[in-house]
Amino acid sequence: MTSDDPDLHTLAGAFVLDAVSADERARFAAHLAGCAACRAEISELREAAASLGTAQAVRPRPELREPTIRAAYRTGQLAPVTAGKQRRTRRGRTAGRPRAIRAVAAAAAVIAVAAGVAVGTHYADQRGQQPPTVSVVLSAPDAVMRSAPVSTGGMAIVVASRHEHMGVFIAHGLPPLPRARSYELWLMGPGGDRPAGLLRVHGNGMAGPALISGMSAGDMVGLTVEPASGSLRPTSAPVVMIGQ
Amino acid sequence: MTDGDRQAPGALPARVVRAARAAHGARGAHGQAPRLDDLLIDVARGDEQAYEAVYDLASGWVLGAARKVLRDPAMAEEVMQEVMLEVWRRASRFDPALGSGTAWVMTLAHRRAVDRVRSERSHSDRELRAATAVVDYDEVTEAVEASLERERVQRCLTSLTPLQRQCVSLAYYGGYTYAEVAELLGVPAGTVKTRMRDGLIKLRDCLGVQR
Repeated sequence: MTSDDPDLHTLAGAFVLDAVSADERARFAAHLAGCAACRAEISELREAAASLGTAQAVRPRPELREPTIRAAYRTGQLAPVTAGKQRRTRRGRTAGRPRAIRAVAAAAAVIAVAAGVAVGTHYADQRGQQPPTVSVVLSAPDAVMRSAPVSTGGMAIVVASRHEHMGVFIAHGLPPLPRARSYELWLMGPGGDRPAGLLRVHGNGMAGPALISGMSAGDMVGLTVEPASGSLRPTSAPVVMIGQ
Repeated sequence: MTDGDRQAPGALPARVVRAARAAHGARGAHGQAPRLDDLLIDVARGDEQAYEAVYDLASGWVLGAARKVLRDPAMAEEVMQEVMLEVWRRASRFDPALGSGTAWVMTLAHRRAVDRVRSERSHSDRELRAATAVVDYDEVTEAVEASLERERVQRCLTSLTPLQRQCVSLAYYGGYTYAEVAELLGVPAGTVKTRMRDGLIKLRDCLGVQR
């Protein structure tokens, strides 16, 4: 409803029905950011459009349930966007920040401990030495931390900086592997699966920090169990996958 | 085109929104919609039990919508699984102040299904017109398993003018852009845009007041 593009507002219906081109979708989304009345209208029209979908409900095959749910648990979750303010939920609880702060503190502790014992970790750049760039990622202003449980045990954490196109992977509580097997890191995304280095697990179940370079938008960090020398493509399902 | 019937843009009274939400919740496909908002908030905290409940509530809606749009059961199952994964991944982005959990999930679901059907269409370079016959309103009305929710939506769809209904159905169930709908129906694109909006407004009002 801004005067610069009087036509744009009539797009509300088509936008809610996903009946716009990618370009129009982006333009309208930008328009929404500055138009509170439009956002209110979109939100109401979305409820109506949702009914068109829910009215078609069918029961999924029961066999799909377990694999879908298990795949979710292997996937990291996006952190809440609550920068600067606490979001009050419907239940009156506050979401996001306290938990995030605790998690970041825990991650920092893990990184500090792991960094001291990380000699010998193989890095994505295969230089085999502790690169100074781990700290570049950790201190990047846009660094985002995600954590996810590893399906075979333990917890994995990725700190990633989109600006630096790099991430740092650490894990704790990883089960040890037989000598013929290794953990291998991957970048998994629109560009396909790319090896991101072998991950050595220390005696205490800690691994990393491993630097992962060449991350691009949409890439997730995956960890698989491979033959000891590593693979060029994953040969088993990831035990954990974490998004940026 | 005549725009005399177009309603002025702007926020609807909160009372109407509440009524719409209540009606929607009370008649959710599984009769449990009001819980979904709370469950999604728990899912955002990594609550696995809450996620399983969300799957049980919403996977059928997502699959149904994906089937309508994609018309390929296997592809629809893939989309359903992808969407349910997105629900887990993006749960922290759900904000109950901006709309219901149902609308949030279905927005993800529909967009994913539409993106998929469009990429399939561009791959196979299928003739637009080949699909028109099957994505007609009649097809919607002939859906077999009549549920309360389905009947209610059908009833509300009949309150739309035929052009509004065709525009909304071709877009939502057919996955067509307004420009494609305009071509299919031989109507100016501007008219299609306004009919989509007017149709949704009418649908919203009908769903909101009907109990």
